[in-house]
Amino acid sequence: MLSSLALSLYKYDLADAKYVGFENYRRLFVQDPLFWKALKNTFLYTFFTVPLGVLGSLLIALLLNQQVKGLRIFRTLFYLPSMVPAVASALLWQWVFNADNGILNQVLGWFGLPNIEWLQNEKFTLWAFVLMSLWGIGGQRMIIFLAGLQGIPESYYEAAKLDGAGTFKQFRHITLPSLSPVMFFNLVLGLVGAFQVFTSAYIMTSGGPNNASLFYSLYIFRNAFEYFKMGKASAMAWVLFVILLTFTLIQMALSKRWVHYEGEQR
Amino acid sequence: MTRLTSLLLPFVAALPLLSCGPDPYAGKIKIRYMAWGNPEQLALEQKLCDKFNEENPDVHVDFLKVPGSAYGNKSVVMLASDTAPDVLRVDHYNFANLQNKRFFLDLTPFADKDPTFNRKDFFPQTIDECTVNGRLYGLNVLFGGNVVYYNKTLMREAGLEDPYKLWQEHRWTYDAFVQYAQALTKKDASGRYVQFGTTMPPFPQWVPMVWGFGGRMIDDAHKHSLLDQPEAEAGLQFVADLRYKYMCAPTPAQAANSAFSFESGKMGMYFDWMGMTPRFRNVVKSFEWDVVPIPSGPKSHQTTVKGNQIVVPANCAHPEIAWRFMRFLTGPEVENLLYVKNRRCFPTRKAVAYSKEFSDGSLPPSQIHIFIDAVEDGRQLPIDDRWAEWTQAMNDQLDRLWNGTERDAKVAGKRAADAVNKVLSEEPGW
Repeated sequence: MLSSLALSLYKYDLADAKYVGFENYRRLFVQDPLFWKALKNTFLYTFFTVPLGVLGSLLIALLLNQQVKGLRIFRTLFYLPSMVPAVASALLWQWVFNADNGILNQVLGWFGLPNIEWLQNEKFTLWAFVLMSLWGIGGQRMIIFLAGLQGIPESYYEAAKLDGAGTFKQFRHITLPSLSPVMFFNLVLGLVGAFQVFTSAYIMTSGGPNNASLFYSLYIFRNAFEYFKMGKASAMAWVLFVILLTFTLIQMALSKRWVHYEGEQR
Repeated sequence: MTRLTSLLLPFVAALPLLSCGPDPYAGKIKIRYMAWGNPEQLALEQKLCDKFNEENPDVHVDFLKVPGSAYGNKSVVMLASDTAPDVLRVDHYNFANLQNKRFFLDLTPFADKDPTFNRKDFFPQTIDECTVNGRLYGLNVLFGGNVVYYNKTLMREAGLEDPYKLWQEHRWTYDAFVQYAQALTKKDASGRYVQFGTTMPPFPQWVPMVWGFGGRMIDDAHKHSLLDQPEAEAGLQFVADLRYKYMCAPTPAQAANSAFSFESGKMGMYFDWMGMTPRFRNVVKSFEWDVVPIPSGPKSHQTTVKGNQIVVPANCAHPEIAWRFMRFLTGPEVENLLYVKNRRCFPTRKAVAYSKEFSDGSLPPSQIHIFIDAVEDGRQLPIDDRWAEWTQAMNDQLDRLWNGTERDAKVAGKRAADAVNKVLSEEPGW
């Protein structure tokens, strides 16, 4: 990390290194429209995928926390997609998004909607990746929520039922507060993960069309390993670090308002 | 500690020693060679290394096989950290940029004092690709030009003359090509395409089309893009029109998931490098196929040629041995095996390309001399040390033209030229 911080202060092309101070950073902010484009794409992706992912995985965890027949099979089925390697799932989704004969457009066709060129039309590409992110909601985050749900003592619910609380009130006043530390953890992880989106865009669209899916990590990769602008790429990596640190600190500050830890005095 | 553990512990501790037998290569000079390829290609290269080791008892070559997807990054990092193998293959797209960083050893002294090495034995482009300012920095491998693979069976069924005959009679033009492609494009009763006449070639395979119309991507000095010139715009327009005007090439959506690959038999004509031959020989069983040159454009007939390079890192400890191994890999015997027997690509040596064995057309493609013509006519891509950067900027701006959201090549060409000019006007490395 320290060497990458040092590199960000150099103009370094793998052969010659020249100290330039904060020039890499200045050029990023002032002279590189693609930096802003990649940042905007990544912010939009994060803004939609993190809440969707957290709520989706919570919903699935709630469903899988019921006492129903075949529960283990359901849990396995929901977890399976997250076991698929990123490259394989990218190829699979390429087929789902196929404008000509993909599943998604066939479903839209049942409702009389026109075909959408998900990966070819720059208006839709980013939304295709947002949709694709839902593929992982049954994975790690859902398991963490499930573990959190199973850690809530049954006696809380029994006491609430005796006081006349219905299902929604139990969820609102017992489940949500008890799950808040887990939700906070998942939010932080989700934000970090969303900001680092890379593989799907690298394989499916290479950042195209016309940079519509140029995500920040992909742009770092391009600068480092295709253009050999290691100083610039290091500066970009540190900008990403600062952004993630800022968001995490904001989340931690806000968490004091809504995250409840067991045994905590307020 | 349980009794069982105390009993097993000495055996576990001795495990690393089991692999420490006598060094089988003691007394030999060890060098490392690194390349990428599919499993069959790598197996063949391993055999070549074994053969070299057999013929050179004083040397042992260790072959590092790296997946193609990771090769670029790995080789760059190894070169930058002075840990690169003694001989490694680099794609010509990266050669200029890496050479510019002084990563490669100047091989001119080795070439000059080697009595068996004569530059005139090789096709000139293969030497040009490895030469910078008159100095030799590599030897060429996996060389070849772009050709049109065509489905002979589909052409016969459509009642079309063999395009090779048209080529012989100087009638194989882009107009004829479009007529053929449209004749080979079919829909089913519901209006869905079930067969396409051709494919819109991906970058850089569409570049010869632009050349055919007299256009160019960039000027000789590599200072300005020429994509906003009328000739280049005409070429770009023709490429896009294959999809959206002539409707004889699949759109990106139609072509996704290899729905209309050449091997599937649903594609009449297909642009690709010579190196596709082994794959088609293995895979295609249900139809006849052959090759024909890229059609002539209104201004010229040119295809593109490109190879890869085997290079020696500047800090190589055994450059003489590395040179010896490189000479073996580019020698007549190996070229015969790789390019005559296996048709992996095209020989770099004229003697191999003009040999009777090379022209054997008993296995497809039968018109082998098309490959020779392609190389003799072939033109090199304007690859420089900023190729990755300016072509990325160019292709970003051409995306809309290729996916049909924009139909005017003048607009796209102008935007692409501006984007390239912006990159070229900036100081490199920022």
